[in-house]
Amino acid sequence: MQSKLSGKQCPIDHDHESRAYASSWPDQYREMRSECPIAWSKNHGGYWVASRYRDIVAIAQASDVFRSNKTYDAENDVVKGGVLIPPGTSVRGLPIETDRPEWDSYRSFINRKFAPKASEVRRERVRHFTTEMIDRVIETGKLDFVHDLTGPVPAMATMELMGLPLEEWREHADAMHEIVFLPKESEEFGKALERFNWVYQRCAEEFRRYRELPEEDNLLSYFAHGQIDGRPVTEEEALGYALNILAGGVDTTTSLTTHTLVYLYENPEERERLIAEPELLPTAREELVRYFSPMHGIARNVVEDFDIGDVKMEAGDRVFLPWSSGNRDPEIFDEPEKIDLARFPNRHIAFGAGMHRCIGSFMARVMFEEMLTQILERMPDYKVDVSAAERYPSVGTINGWINMPATFTPGKKRLV
Amino acid sequence: MRVRIKAERCVGHAMCYLAAPEIFVLSDEDGRASVTVDVVPEEFQEAVRQAARSCPEEAVDIY
Repeated sequence: MQSKLSGKQCPIDHDHESRAYASSWPDQYREMRSECPIAWSKNHGGYWVASRYRDIVAIAQASDVFRSNKTYDAENDVVKGGVLIPPGTSVRGLPIETDRPEWDSYRSFINRKFAPKASEVRRERVRHFTTEMIDRVIETGKLDFVHDLTGPVPAMATMELMGLPLEEWREHADAMHEIVFLPKESEEFGKALERFNWVYQRCAEEFRRYRELPEEDNLLSYFAHGQIDGRPVTEEEALGYALNILAGGVDTTTSLTTHTLVYLYENPEERERLIAEPELLPTAREELVRYFSPMHGIARNVVEDFDIGDVKMEAGDRVFLPWSSGNRDPEIFDEPEKIDLARFPNRHIAFGAGMHRCIGSFMARVMFEEMLTQILERMPDYKVDVSAAERYPSVGTINGWINMPATFTPGKKRLV
Repeated sequence: MRVRIKAERCVGHAMCYLAAPEIFVLSDEDGRASVTVDVVPEEFQEAVRQAARSCPEEAVDIY
């Protein structure tokens, strides 16, 4: 048996924020899984990348060793820890950037708001937003899927859930998109940060306003009136929740649905099959989220030395967990590079694994189903102009599209 | 056949419910799964095996 090596073996040039990664990640991870399953990247201050499903899940489950907490040193403007590489903004996302025992209080405070029943209750509203957005373009025979539908619907549903004014959805959605897909060194990133700060400001204003009003059925109002461990929620905590929920709500389902629309355009027999057999939707939904893995991966912070495979991780190291790579691991999935709309069982980890697993997955499923169902009903012959569509320049956090022009046979409005 | 959910492992992937909605139920509180029957009827045993194979956390325990 090979002895444990010390130091950072298996060096690779992994950078999930780079343009090269955006086009080559399936190949890069395939090679890593077979030759160098846990490797060290020197980029962004250095971090491990675990590429095999079993290691990714094992690390995600060992949450006492691989932690998520983020701290911010305001004096030196340094962000430490957290779940992003590079570290991102100074705002600590709640509950994602906390550990036990704090996490228990933070997560249980909002679980009920995202549970299957609460998400089902919102289905009617999601359907209404979808109808409304399709109505705006249905008579023209053309649209941009991202701008006119897959961007707005999750954004509007998230605005309503948060208790933010519905008409502000585009500003919030654009800000959350840009902060995610613009490379941190780009010129535009400064502007994106300003817009992100505007979102932060708006959430703060609304939180303060809800404090003065009787409790309403939305999250900012719930934060304004709620108690965690017997004391009121602070403004900082409310904003930590708000930004985590906005980031999770506005970008991820947009990416999944847009990828799906391209796939169904390029594979017309699969589109026909889904139209003919709508009962395939649940397995199709899980398979598409496996294959596209909109949330590509997330980071953890190693707090004590830990041996895994042939690698010795040390306290203070960081590790990146690409769900996207685990989801294409041939040890778990037969023909992982192939989309099989009927694939089941399908133990994908596109929503993560371990205790920090996506809280909004039930909401995501509702939004995806409502958008896709209505598109296939109302514009079943849509054609996408893939040559005019642009991918996010950086896909390592969210693997998405900037735009997606399409045409279809015009139809009639549903709402008067 | 009997089946249980290892509560300390379940984080609410809901794949067992997708495999066998007759046997598993998801909590309205946090989306985590539990089992609704004492003994799994013959006609659902294959679905329960599928549920066990679809859980990323290996939280579905057939015994």
